[in-house]
Amino acid sequence: MTPFLELKDVHKSYFLHGKRIDVLRGVSLTIEKGELVSLIGSSGSGKSTFLHVMGTLDAAASGTLRFEGRDVFAMNDAELAELRNQTFGFVFQSHFLLPEFTAAENVAMPGLIRRQDRKACDLRARELLDRVGLLARADHRPGELSGGESQRVALARALMLKPALLLADEPTGNLDPATGEGIHQLLREVNRDLGVTAVVVTHNETLARLMPRRLRISEGRVVTAEG
Amino acid sequence: MKDLRVLFRWLGGALALAGLAAILAGLARREVVGLFSGDLALGVLGWGAFVELLVSFGVAGLYDTVHAAIVSTLPKVKSSGLENLEIWAGLGLWVVGWGLLSQGFTGPEAAASPPSAAVGTPLHPRIAQYRDFHWGTLAAYGLGFLLAEVAMLGLFVLLVGKGAQAGAEGGGLGHVTAFLIAFGLGLLLAALGGFLGAAHSGRLSTPEATIAILYFGLPVPIVLSLMTQVGWLMLHVGVHLREVAYLSAQLGENRPELGYWLVFGALALALVLGLNLGFVATSSGRLDLKLTYESFIANRHVQVFRPRLLLSIFAVLILGIVPPLVLYLIVMAAEQVVERTRIRHLGLKDPLLASEALHALKKRGQTPTAMMTTLSVGGVGVGVMALIIVLSVMSGFELDLQSKILGTNSHGVVLKYGDAMPEWREVMDKIAPVKGLAGQTPFVLNEVMISSDGNISGSMIKGIDPESVGTVTDLPKYLKRDGLDCPSCGKLEWLTTPEKIVRARLTPMGEPMLDEKGGAAVDWPKPERKSGLEDDPLIEAPKPDATKVLPGILLGKELALSLKVQVGDRVNVVSPLGGELGPQGPMPKSRPFKVAGIFYSGMYEYDSKFVYIDLHQAMDFFNLKGPTGLELKFEDVDNARRLTRQIYDLLEGYPYRTRDWGEMNKNLFAALRLEKLVMGIILSVIVIVAAGLIVATVIMLVLEKRKEIAVLKALGVSDGGVVKIFLTEGLQIGIAGGLLGLVAGLGWCLFIEKVGIKLDPQVYYIPALPVRIEAFQTVLSVVVAVLITFLASIYPALEASQVEPVEGLKSE
Repeated sequence: MTPFLELKDVHKSYFLHGKRIDVLRGVSLTIEKGELVSLIGSSGSGKSTFLHVMGTLDAAASGTLRFEGRDVFAMNDAELAELRNQTFGFVFQSHFLLPEFTAAENVAMPGLIRRQDRKACDLRARELLDRVGLLARADHRPGELSGGESQRVALARALMLKPALLLADEPTGNLDPATGEGIHQLLREVNRDLGVTAVVVTHNETLARLMPRRLRISEGRVVTAEG
Repeated sequence: MKDLRVLFRWLGGALALAGLAAILAGLARREVVGLFSGDLALGVLGWGAFVELLVSFGVAGLYDTVHAAIVSTLPKVKSSGLENLEIWAGLGLWVVGWGLLSQGFTGPEAAASPPSAAVGTPLHPRIAQYRDFHWGTLAAYGLGFLLAEVAMLGLFVLLVGKGAQAGAEGGGLGHVTAFLIAFGLGLLLAALGGFLGAAHSGRLSTPEATIAILYFGLPVPIVLSLMTQVGWLMLHVGVHLREVAYLSAQLGENRPELGYWLVFGALALALVLGLNLGFVATSSGRLDLKLTYESFIANRHVQVFRPRLLLSIFAVLILGIVPPLVLYLIVMAAEQVVERTRIRHLGLKDPLLASEALHALKKRGQTPTAMMTTLSVGGVGVGVMALIIVLSVMSGFELDLQSKILGTNSHGVVLKYGDAMPEWREVMDKIAPVKGLAGQTPFVLNEVMISSDGNISGSMIKGIDPESVGTVTDLPKYLKRDGLDCPSCGKLEWLTTPEKIVRARLTPMGEPMLDEKGGAAVDWPKPERKSGLEDDPLIEAPKPDATKVLPGILLGKELALSLKVQVGDRVNVVSPLGGELGPQGPMPKSRPFKVAGIFYSGMYEYDSKFVYIDLHQAMDFFNLKGPTGLELKFEDVDNARRLTRQIYDLLEGYPYRTRDWGEMNKNLFAALRLEKLVMGIILSVIVIVAAGLIVATVIMLVLEKRKEIAVLKALGVSDGGVVKIFLTEGLQIGIAGGLLGLVAGLGWCLFIEKVGIKLDPQVYYIPALPVRIEAFQTVLSVVVAVLITFLASIYPALEASQVEPVEGLKSE
């Protein structure tokens, strides 16, 4: 059986003033459908880069990434855009909502990009906002939402097209522990109720401990976290 | 090492240039540059001709030997090894220079870091699949462009040819219609080529486009431009394309090249538009021209179509900057006062509400980007408005001039080789059935001198048939003032019935009036002159028949003024060649006429130069057996060329020949058209400046929205989607500006037309600024402006699509 997500020998380097910095040095990893994975690591260990490469936001230098058997690195720009739109969901450290649009419009955006009907998108967006407990704020702009609320809207946006894989890059990094715990709770619910496979990057060990599978990234390689 | 490479580049470039200069100098000194110019040009244009260039230099080296062998009689060029030194040295320098240059670019890069752990792993597929040149794309661009040019020429020639043949049964196409159809096809084909090429490669492929335009597109206009100069081309190509040359030459006096290159530019533009469209439409992996979320996002970004913004820009366009600004400041001040009073009132009830309202008031200011957007819309609007107004006024002048010229002249003439056309009645009957012919009249044209007591003047004299002249020219109308007969301007009928001529007399106020006897046919004798006829001492003996009535003549207003004559006065017409042969050659011939009317065409040239007499008088005076030819009038002026040719064919050519009014006034109208074209191009500069504003605005938008672009890409917007968003933003600005400019321009034109702007008739010979709104050029102005803004926003939109998602997604 083909694995859900498979990374093999992925390398990635940056060049700074002619000096090469190897961020990923041959990462190999397999993730099965429905898993909830936490990825921890110290600052600058390459967690975010790893997540970006996995989400096709950043290009790796070599290696292969297979998603349900498809060679993702061999896809062209158009195919990648479609993959990101329909299969991946992203949540970032900052919410990165579009400031000119209301919460509902932000949530509906992936559907609009897929050229779905505007009305249907709005309906689905409100449903999702209801799920994250923000229906009352549906017509507010991001500037009028608090950090935790924005992050919940961002999560709802990531879930708009029922993604197969949810990638979260320190979703609680800018939030206080209590709010962060709420977001994590939501992530676990999404994983459990909707069956969405999720990879959550965090440097918060206590929160990471709540995840069924824990990975640690160090020296450019991914290992299973102890404890 | 790095510094050395830079040195190599510069030194290599300088050496290669010096070498080329030496070679050219050597060739020039031998006066053989012309011989090798083709090779040199090819060498400059592209690398492919490098070998060709080397061969040409080799031939240049051998030139002396060949030259000496063939033309030994000519002064011999000194032939020695040293003589060729500069060419060979130049060649050497050139090769060395290029060698250095290549070293400067391909020298080894010092390894900065030790080999990475990835050594040995397979190359990343994206890099492995990368291709930097698509032959299919080049083929699509190049063949599309070439096909566009060839199809355009072919279709045009076909349509015009058809038109000329089909004209006999009616229908058929004029030059302009045929051109527009062919041009449309050419634009479509070029755009299609661009679209398919970009769709094939999935990107813009500018190198392919450049090569396609240079190597596939350029030869055609070059051949067309050289057509008239190179005999061989004229023989083999020119004969088939003479209608193309004719239409193109309409643009400028003997400058058909201008037309070719303008069309070439338009086709290149169509190619660029097509390839942009192709890239944008197919970058999501399939054909996708929808603008759903793209326009949704773009609308929120620029917010051009707000009534407040549009209204204020419109006010500025119509009223200028100062009055709306003053109004705006007053309104703003009033609004502020009202608002603050309201807030204070609110504060008395609930301080919280007041602080909220105050906050909202402060937040209402405009962002820099919004200001830029407003300015851009205004800029495009001003450009379009200026284009429309100026072109309409120029059209007005042109129409005025055309109607004056065509009022006096005919749309076409039938002439005969030799001098006269005694069989004119048969010819008239023969061509009468031609469809589209509105009228015809025989005429005699000659040059004479007109003398009166007061003055003398050289004139064109035209013998006309008063019966039918009205069907061809506006002469009967010019003899009236404000559509009414008047005593001071006479009557056309008096040409044939001079005995009815009534003398006009000026009242003390300068007003003309009839004499007391009303319409009685009385010739008032002038007290200072003895009698009407007898005193012509020059040639003819005084005629005994003093009661004979003089034949009538019509003079232009200006001529009458300078001769100081009025209706009923006598003038002498003197022809230097009309008389018998005397001992010293032809004797001048003179005959007196009585002024039967004074016409006013509004065109100084005609009013001061033309006189009309009866056709038979003229034939008699010039000893002609028949009229010079026939003047024709057509229902549609624009068909003149086609119909005159048709009539020519009908008369089976020689000894007859035909000319249309365009040929007769070629230079004047060509100059007018060129002036309009140049004016249009100059005014387009305003639009281009506004387009610069749009570039700046969209760049600012892109900079402002970098993070959002990254987010959109993470959400699955393709590169083409990002381009579409920002192109839509630029286009919205362009369309808003264009429409505002259109409305304001039309408004101004209507104002000029209805209310009028007075001109000094003494200077301009026209009482008010003429204006004529031509739908085609008005629409064209708007379309061109929108096109320019669209082109201008391509660059920033592409920049936007280059934003890497990770770059914008870095956490702050």
